[in-house]
Amino acid sequence: MSEVAMGDAAMTNLAMQQVATPSATHLLEAVGVTKKFGANVVIENLSIGFAPGMLHSILGPNGAGKTTLFNLLTRDLPVTAGEILLRGERITAMKPHQIARLGVGRSYQISSVYLDLSFLDNVWLAAYRARHGGRMGWWKRVGSYGEIRDQACEVLEKLGLIGFRDLPAKAVSYGDQRLLEIAVTLATNPDILLLDEPTAGLSQRETERVKRFIESIKQQYLIVMIEHKMNVVMEISDRVHVMNRGTLIASGTAAEISRDEAVHRAYFGL
Amino acid sequence: MLRTQSTVLIAASTVIIAALAPLVMPINIATEILIFGIFAMSTNLLIGVSGLYSFGQAAFFGVGGYVAGYCFVHTNLPLSAGLVLAMLGSALVAGLVGAFSIRRTGIYFMMLTFAFNQMIYYLAYSWRAVTGGEDGMGGIRRPALDMPLVGNIDLGNHLNFYMLAAALFVASSILLFRLARSPLGLVLDAAKQNPRRTASLGFSVYRAQWIAFVVAGAIAGLAGALFALLYRIMPIDAISWTSSGNVVFMVVIGGMSSVLGPVLGAAIFIWLQGFFSLIWARWPLLFGVFIILVVLFLRGGVAELFDRARQAFTRKTPTPAVQGGSHE
Repeated sequence: MSEVAMGDAAMTNLAMQQVATPSATHLLEAVGVTKKFGANVVIENLSIGFAPGMLHSILGPNGAGKTTLFNLLTRDLPVTAGEILLRGERITAMKPHQIARLGVGRSYQISSVYLDLSFLDNVWLAAYRARHGGRMGWWKRVGSYGEIRDQACEVLEKLGLIGFRDLPAKAVSYGDQRLLEIAVTLATNPDILLLDEPTAGLSQRETERVKRFIESIKQQYLIVMIEHKMNVVMEISDRVHVMNRGTLIASGTAAEISRDEAVHRAYFGL
Repeated sequence: MLRTQSTVLIAASTVIIAALAPLVMPINIATEILIFGIFAMSTNLLIGVSGLYSFGQAAFFGVGGYVAGYCFVHTNLPLSAGLVLAMLGSALVAGLVGAFSIRRTGIYFMMLTFAFNQMIYYLAYSWRAVTGGEDGMGGIRRPALDMPLVGNIDLGNHLNFYMLAAALFVASSILLFRLARSPLGLVLDAAKQNPRRTASLGFSVYRAQWIAFVVAGAIAGLAGALFALLYRIMPIDAISWTSSGNVVFMVVIGGMSSVLGPVLGAAIFIWLQGFFSLIWARWPLLFGVFIILVVLFLRGGVAELFDRARQAFTRKTPTPAVQGGSHE
């Protein structure tokens, strides 16, 4: 879709790679992780750390391993080698729901809202989990949790979705489903937000809206965002990390990255 | 009625169904329909609510029947103790089977439940000393029901036994109705639509589905115990995989999207079975045709007929049925 065009230029220059070592300055980090699917190495000995209070963007051509990196961070997929650290603690062997309970909220590249549930129920589930830990009541009705419903409505309001409250998610446009996806992720009350292409498939106007929204909340969270739209990345990111072929080829501010040679080679094959 | 959102309405509908049934059919047929209604409702907690296509529910129905049968053949335990033990026994077996089966999804889950059912069937088949093997477990007594204030109720009386089945039927439907509309029910519905997303919200999908599996097993066990008491014999057929298939048919015929749909399915199944077997010895053929027709033209089961009729009647545009928790 809005993919930046790039060739399969040979990418061997790792000069700019910052070797991240475990440190307390990183809220979330991957240390020397490798992911193989059979003989196919998708991520190779990658170390990347995310300092708190910042908006990090991950750039890279298709197949660079960005979404796979997210899947390793949230343990949707197990690592082949290496460690994932959250607040300095190993979480490599945990299950996805345990990592979510530690405050890692994630949105997916392909919308994963519950199409048959109403907007309210979609967000309600997330807010209920945030409030009640992992417990699941089996007698009281969903409708009787007034406080959680209010919280859910608040999140819907924030994203301008309150009008869709009682509509099933399948009844609205893809753009509104993407916004709901973000609302659901926010309602889990995370410290860390992993957003996988939050503006994919959105119109220019909707993209602008999501961009401004992310910018408005970035003080409150550590946000890591995979994004292809250059204007979004360059305008709101504090740090930009560029991946290619399963490795990190550059990290820095938006200005530094736009001058980086390795990045130019990766994208334009110069 | 079938898609109602209120507990009071559900309770009222089930009481009305239970009160009217003996007026229109022989009482033992009505009892059997309520018993299979309980079994089908419990199965629908897995199939309809959780999207877990279990083809091994007869194992838990059978375990309940054998445990209750054993209690009432060999011990002097009161009725309540026998029923509770039957439910606990089924819950325990369901807990074990579920712990393995839920690790897999789709066809693999189905095959695991099926395989466990076969194993448990052959266990019952070869453990003649306890289960009676092929001949079934006979001589099951119906102990009197000792009720506070009312005193001893003789369950040898068909109507009294029917009332017991009816009371447990109403209780089971209320429990399953509340569960489906609770946070757990919403998590099950969510996990059915997208298990990965549900885990990323911080819910243990495995745990939620395991709980559903155990609850469904325990209630199937209750139905099995009542079945053993009804005919005073526990036949080996009741625990076989064909019985697991039958209860899935009941759910499909009745409709999965409401709590009471499967009860309708159980009623139609039992009635049709009786009807077809009277007119033709090769009745399963006709029965197959009926099921094919339902699946092809009535995807929501017979319960959908009610919805269509209501829509035609009120001339309203159909609104999409939003399952799970409702905030109305």
